[in-house]
Amino acid sequence: MQKDVILNGRIWLITNDKGELINDIDTDMIFHNQYLTITDLDEMGQYTFDNLEGWKDFADKALKDDIIVVGDNFGAGSSRQQAVDCFKSLAVQAIIAKSFGAIYKRNAINSGLPILVLDSIDLNNIENREMVEFDLENGETDHNAINIEPFSKVQMDIYQAGNLFAYGKNIK
Amino acid sequence: MSKTFIQKILEKKSGKELEEGEITFVEPDYILTHDNTAAISQKLAQIKERIKVKYPDRIVIVLDHVIPAASEKTANNHKIIREFVKEQNIEHFYDIGKGICHQVLPEMGLAVPGSIVVGSDSHTCTYGAFSVFSTGIDRTEAAGIWVTGQTWFKLPRTFKITLTGKLQKHVTAKDLILKIIKDIGADGANYRAVEYHGDGISNLTIPQRMTIANMAIEMGAKSSAFPVDDRTRKWLKEAGVEDYGEIWADKDAQYEKEYNYNLNKIEPMVAFPHSVDNGKPICEAEGIKVDQCFLGTCTNGRLEDLELAASILEAKKIHPDIRFIVGAASQKIYQKAMNNGTIQKLVKSGAVIIPPGCGPCLGAHQGAMAAGEKTLSTANRNFKGRMGNKDSFIYLASPATAAATALKGKITDPRKI
Repeated sequence: MQKDVILNGRIWLITNDKGELINDIDTDMIFHNQYLTITDLDEMGQYTFDNLEGWKDFADKALKDDIIVVGDNFGAGSSRQQAVDCFKSLAVQAIIAKSFGAIYKRNAINSGLPILVLDSIDLNNIENREMVEFDLENGETDHNAINIEPFSKVQMDIYQAGNLFAYGKNIK
Repeated sequence: MSKTFIQKILEKKSGKELEEGEITFVEPDYILTHDNTAAISQKLAQIKERIKVKYPDRIVIVLDHVIPAASEKTANNHKIIREFVKEQNIEHFYDIGKGICHQVLPEMGLAVPGSIVVGSDSHTCTYGAFSVFSTGIDRTEAAGIWVTGQTWFKLPRTFKITLTGKLQKHVTAKDLILKIIKDIGADGANYRAVEYHGDGISNLTIPQRMTIANMAIEMGAKSSAFPVDDRTRKWLKEAGVEDYGEIWADKDAQYEKEYNYNLNKIEPMVAFPHSVDNGKPICEAEGIKVDQCFLGTCTNGRLEDLELAASILEAKKIHPDIRFIVGAASQKIYQKAMNNGTIQKLVKSGAVIIPPGCGPCLGAHQGAMAAGEKTLSTANRNFKGRMGNKDSFIYLASPATAAATALKGKITDPRKI
């Protein structure tokens, strides 16, 4: 079954008190090390961003199919799987960042969680909770104030297979 | 066309010419996992009857993160891993006490120049010290490689860092890498490979190169690499590694950015909370009172690190308000440090010795902090809450600075002891 290449969701602009997208959100802010013994996906969501200043109540606010928008170097730091899986646990649909930490990027791609690189954003003309449509294949959106880069081929192939694990079994 | 180190290694492994940004599939030589193996093996568990790992001799598992087990949960995880190791005939399994994976893997002769090592731990980049392309991966990917033997890489651009001169007394490789990370930034080398060049390299010991390579991820780099020289060959020979092809960049290879560092001019550095690129020269940190000093980890738990600390302490008692926690990076180092009296000297000064493992670095146990407390640590990461409490503060520095600080109870320039 083909997966949707067009995502529709309400966005969360993860901003600081100055209204700027937060940069360098590390894996301890996303999913703090005190919860690392958790391996059950259903339990992870509640701790998402619980160490991120201003967003500690994110897990309560997030709704199914939400899309989060963050600054540079999202997911810097450790290789912990929970920092990706906690978003799956909350049914967050996609993460859009100016850039990602190197391991986080692989982790999300290989896990089949759609992550997108922000091409440009005009924060004066876009609001939290607006509904935006993103086309993973050609990088188009239906909102003037936000632009993204499309998926690479390998990212699309892994996404369509489900994850690297499923993808690898197919090419064996 | 002239090529970078990473290009040569990926081309060798994929058997074809590659262009920058091109994605290729390769078979890594070793796949490292640690205590998180339990979680990874659960990904295979649903299909256990059919799935066997493809290359049991390429899988390396080291129990190091929470050892000995600190809770029922971690004990269960360890048990799952031991069962998995038996069931899948995993060849390279190192149970608790052997040491931290990034020290144990090279000691066991598995860091071979010109090879590819991946690991589900972000500091897998450590083996760049041995001209290995090594990098951190995630758990889904680790499970995938267990089954298929392969994964994908995108040929990255490379930064060139040229080192000249020699580090001054009580200034260490840790100070150098903290300075480099401060200059380049926590994401300045994102998706990039880094190469170290210059005659300053010959003045750096292998443990010093491991400290530098260990922290490549802290500037966002995929990996970093040092060329092989006589020091490398000698170290590897002692680990039983003798036959390997040496790969290095061509002389006129193209680099995206170039940096130069004169080692003579490096001074002790301290990375302030809560990011590794928040480095400052020690003069801006002197006098800050701390509650705990931690010497060890995959960054700075090597024999010369412990010896340096012991020589600065000179058997003097540490400050009464300080907890001084020390852990060797491996059993081998621990034994050497016992045999030459280093451990005795440290204990005499008041150090608490923990088993060779990751210990307090990730806040799991053996030195977690209370709210408001400050630790000066030789580890590689000072993220908010890294050592347990989210309202505590971590300063990163060298083993020399850790010893000087333990002595005085406040951050102290080791050159002044």
